[in-house]
Amino acid sequence: MVNFTIEEVRALMDKPTNVRNMSVIAHVDHGKSTLTDSLLSKAGIISAAKAGDARATDTRADEQERGITIKSTAISLYGHLEDEEDLKDIAGQKTDGPDFLINLIDSPGHVDFSSEVTAALRVTDGALVVVDTIEGVCVQTETVLRQALGERIKPVVIINKVDRALLELQVSKEDLYQSFSRTIESVNVVISTYFDKTLGDVQVYPYKGTVAFGSGLHGWAFTVRQFAQRYAKKFGVDRNKMMERLWGDNYFNPHTKKWTNKGVHEGKQLERAFNQFILDPIFRIFNAVMNFKKDEIPTLLEKLNIKLSADDREKEGKQLLKIVMRTFLPAADALLEMLILHLPSPVTAQKYRAETLYEGPPDDEACIGIRDCDPKAPLMLYVSKMVPTSDKGRFYAFGRVFAGTVRSGLKVRIQGPNYTPGKKEDLFIKAIQRTVLMMGGKVDPIDDVPAGNILGLVGIDQFLLKSGTLTTSDTAHNLKVMKFSVSPVVQRSVEVKNAQDLPKLVEGLKRLSKSDPCVLTMINESGEHVVAGAGELHLEICLKDLEEDHAGVPLRISDPVVAYRETVTSKSSMTALSKSPNKHNRLYMIAEPLDEEVSKEIEAGRIGPRDDFKARARTLADDHGWDVTDARKIWCFGPDTNGANLLVDQTKAVQYLNEIKDSVVSGFQWASREGPVAEEPMRSCRFNIMDVTLHADAIHRGGGQLIPTARRVLYAAALLAEPGLLEPVFLVEIQVPENAMGGVYGVLTRRRGHVFNEEQRPGTPLFTIKAYLPVMESFGFNADLRSHTSGQAFPQSVFDHWQILPGGSPIDGTSKVGVVVQAMRKRKGIKEVVPSYENYYDKL
Amino acid sequence: MLYLVGLGLSDETDITIKGLDIVKRASRVYLEAYTSILLVDKEILEKYYGREVIIADREMVESASDDILHDAQNIDVAFLVVGDPFGATTHTDLILRARSLSIPTTSIPNASILSAIGATGLQLYNFGQTVSMVFFTETWKPASFYDRVRENRNIGLHTLILLDIKVKEQSLENMSRGRKVYEPPRYMTVGQCCVQMLEVEGMKGEGGEGLGGVYGEESLAVGAARVGGRTEKFVSGTLKQLCESDEVLGGPLHSLVLLGRRTHELEHDYVREFAVDTEVWDRIWKRDYEGQT
Repeated sequence: MVNFTIEEVRALMDKPTNVRNMSVIAHVDHGKSTLTDSLLSKAGIISAAKAGDARATDTRADEQERGITIKSTAISLYGHLEDEEDLKDIAGQKTDGPDFLINLIDSPGHVDFSSEVTAALRVTDGALVVVDTIEGVCVQTETVLRQALGERIKPVVIINKVDRALLELQVSKEDLYQSFSRTIESVNVVISTYFDKTLGDVQVYPYKGTVAFGSGLHGWAFTVRQFAQRYAKKFGVDRNKMMERLWGDNYFNPHTKKWTNKGVHEGKQLERAFNQFILDPIFRIFNAVMNFKKDEIPTLLEKLNIKLSADDREKEGKQLLKIVMRTFLPAADALLEMLILHLPSPVTAQKYRAETLYEGPPDDEACIGIRDCDPKAPLMLYVSKMVPTSDKGRFYAFGRVFAGTVRSGLKVRIQGPNYTPGKKEDLFIKAIQRTVLMMGGKVDPIDDVPAGNILGLVGIDQFLLKSGTLTTSDTAHNLKVMKFSVSPVVQRSVEVKNAQDLPKLVEGLKRLSKSDPCVLTMINESGEHVVAGAGELHLEICLKDLEEDHAGVPLRISDPVVAYRETVTSKSSMTALSKSPNKHNRLYMIAEPLDEEVSKEIEAGRIGPRDDFKARARTLADDHGWDVTDARKIWCFGPDTNGANLLVDQTKAVQYLNEIKDSVVSGFQWASREGPVAEEPMRSCRFNIMDVTLHADAIHRGGGQLIPTARRVLYAAALLAEPGLLEPVFLVEIQVPENAMGGVYGVLTRRRGHVFNEEQRPGTPLFTIKAYLPVMESFGFNADLRSHTSGQAFPQSVFDHWQILPGGSPIDGTSKVGVVVQAMRKRKGIKEVVPSYENYYDKL
Repeated sequence: MLYLVGLGLSDETDITIKGLDIVKRASRVYLEAYTSILLVDKEILEKYYGREVIIADREMVESASDDILHDAQNIDVAFLVVGDPFGATTHTDLILRARSLSIPTTSIPNASILSAIGATGLQLYNFGQTVSMVFFTETWKPASFYDRVRENRNIGLHTLILLDIKVKEQSLENMSRGRKVYEPPRYMTVGQCCVQMLEVEGMKGEGGEGLGGVYGEESLAVGAARVGGRTEKFVSGTLKQLCESDEVLGGPLHSLVLLGRRTHELEHDYVREFAVDTEVWDRIWKRDYEGQT
């Protein structure tokens, strides 16, 4: 039975110091959902017997079937600190009573669904990072940690699946300690790489209580702090001192009865305190239970003060082990304690997050409201994703109140990602129909929700595509748009089997696009509907949803194809010139490649159109060798006003240039969205406007004259600059035992893969291979790998970078690349041969 | 031979006899229908000329001029332009293209708004540079006309302002999708022009730097509608008053003249007759214009 009521939850919402918003993040299969279960069982949401198997936050049937999490799921929990003493350990922030509200979001670990993680992180302040004892820090652990730190989210760590190390690998105590220590160190390496001054040092240490160890499957976990508490009384020492002794090079010398940091006494090896006081009892339980030493068990249980019911005492083997461990070290207690003590409350977190969350000035009412987590300030609410409702085609807008209070019926400004203050674009003013609390797969209605909490909104979905800002202040800027670490690089086209179903498909595509933060749906000139996702799996899930749910009609789905980018590889061989249709206006431009570094900065959102132009010019000049004058005259980014292509004004003293800027920018957005080679988006191109001649009268240089001209001159400049095609490349991380490595290498070589790192995971026979693999070659890679390694290799692919597709020029129809281009053009229903630059170039 | 034939300002009967002669015997006749429009339909023209006329929209003239010029070395092609063939600078390009194809050209002049505006009573000698006013959008408000007006005002000359017409334009979205879907035709009115002029004055004034003050709400101007036609109409008043004058002026096409300070007594007597409110007119005339040199 659920041990708390909505009323209790609502009351706690008014005490933001006692709220913890947190996400559970990790590499796939490291046990997030399983661990989450133990927290849910503590809250009475699922029964203790089911915890570990239920994966209650995997609410979709396919999530249960596949055993992976696909969508992030939120749930609110009620936490209570038993011991008054514990409250004193909440350092650096205020607390109001022993009751806590924990808003937890379980997120997917598979890289294809990282955008779900991004959306989860945005609305939380802390993260529980789950790491597998045996596999250690993997590619996705690193990615999600990096994302978390980028959002200024404080991590705590649990090392999971310790039971496997004990049961399967049969390691010694010291080996296990070393393995823990290595894993923590790897986590800390990642954390310190992305060090953020404002957030401070957030590295994790067992002796500070920010690392837990346990087994989600068996439902037990502990922190060093918990053991320190037990022993502090026994040794009569302060608990905090005890904590430090129970980790690292600290030993208790039984001969002198003294603590020491030297591991040797009179030539004999001492046992490390962690091993002696923490691991020893656990090892004993495992040993006694698993080796069926029936006589030893009761003594042991008594010694450790573990009381079992009569039924449970009858059990044996793993069943008994589970129940003993769960009673000895309940996972929920360790986790709750760690989360409450060490994760920041919204009051604490929003102080340092406000400036990174908000696009506007740091001293306006909206930003101050966020900083102070003020429930009386104007509303600032970020919708980070859409969650499907049981009512088909409708969605809950899922988000976090950063300032103010939201309630049903409140009239709010709904500001989409393209909203700019003072304009009406991408803005709606509507009333919120209802506010709800997200409880896993269910929702509970709630009257209002104050700053610092997470909720769902009804009636907003028609006005926002995927995410956006809700506010009651007329002058508020947007909360920053999320940057995803994955790109939709794999595409498949879909068509209906029965022509009359087409309208349903179109509607279904709209819904699909809403339901997933990352998926892209578009329609080609030839009328072909295309769905793009982060990887094969992501796309498969999206298309399944589309067919079974969003559209609900039978579909024919094409083989996956890759999304390419068009670029240039040198400077235009001559200045391109195009004249407007009335011939009275002339544009002169040159294209050149943009530094890869700059492109990456743009894609990561570190350089962007909304920066202060002077600061941006400084960065470009200091870090990337730009000329400051050029850097200050960046007209725009494209496509979609934020892509990694730049338009730079290098003209000198052209009168009325600003009157055509708008038109040229529109032409640039258009051209960079559909490049000259195959109408794929451009990337990493810089276009310089060299000169412009204009008609004296504005009537002869309107948009109708200049937009098409700008596009033509950009095309000509690009085609004159040795165009190239960029293909997306995955970073694949493969965990494989040594004996199957040959198979991995074979498969990689056949698929143009390139191994750049190979490491053995200490203490295990497992190797981690890292390689680059072109996305084009990745279709069917997992199956291929499985068959060549007898299923022993586990790959994870995540988009890493773009590289020039080798094999000749894309405009040469006989080259390998040219063939790819022509196939693409044919599919899109445009003329197969790439038009030459003369089609866009006008002679003087 | 390519003939550029001026059609005059109003209806089918404004064509010159010389022009009509050419139209009747030419192999193909095009009617340019986007820089200006006649006040009558194509069918009436065809009936009057006794022959078929091909409408040439912007796209055809700018992008498919080869069709127009096809075989003009050997046959006669007439290209009809409302007003005078060279009234707008637009068609010099067609002549240049004809030249490069060794096609001989001849033009038949006719009345243009540039001369017909004399009907306001303002002397053509006293006009400065002509400017045009385009439809402003949320983000595009070209204000370069303002500097031309300033130059005219500095030496006391009138400014003729031609008003934007959009006969067959694509929206940005349709253009980038390559869809040939066109917006309904729009013609700027004197009222809208005055509103935009005052908006620019406001922008320039706000900017400080002493850029504003070229004209103001109380500057005198004359609005003209359907000049040269049977329903020709003039209204004079302050720019502020003319913002509300659309009803009096009636349907398209409209033009506007902003008076220069050196307005002659005789000009004043003539224009005063059109005033919305003679009292206001007289007061401002006395204050700002009379006797100024």
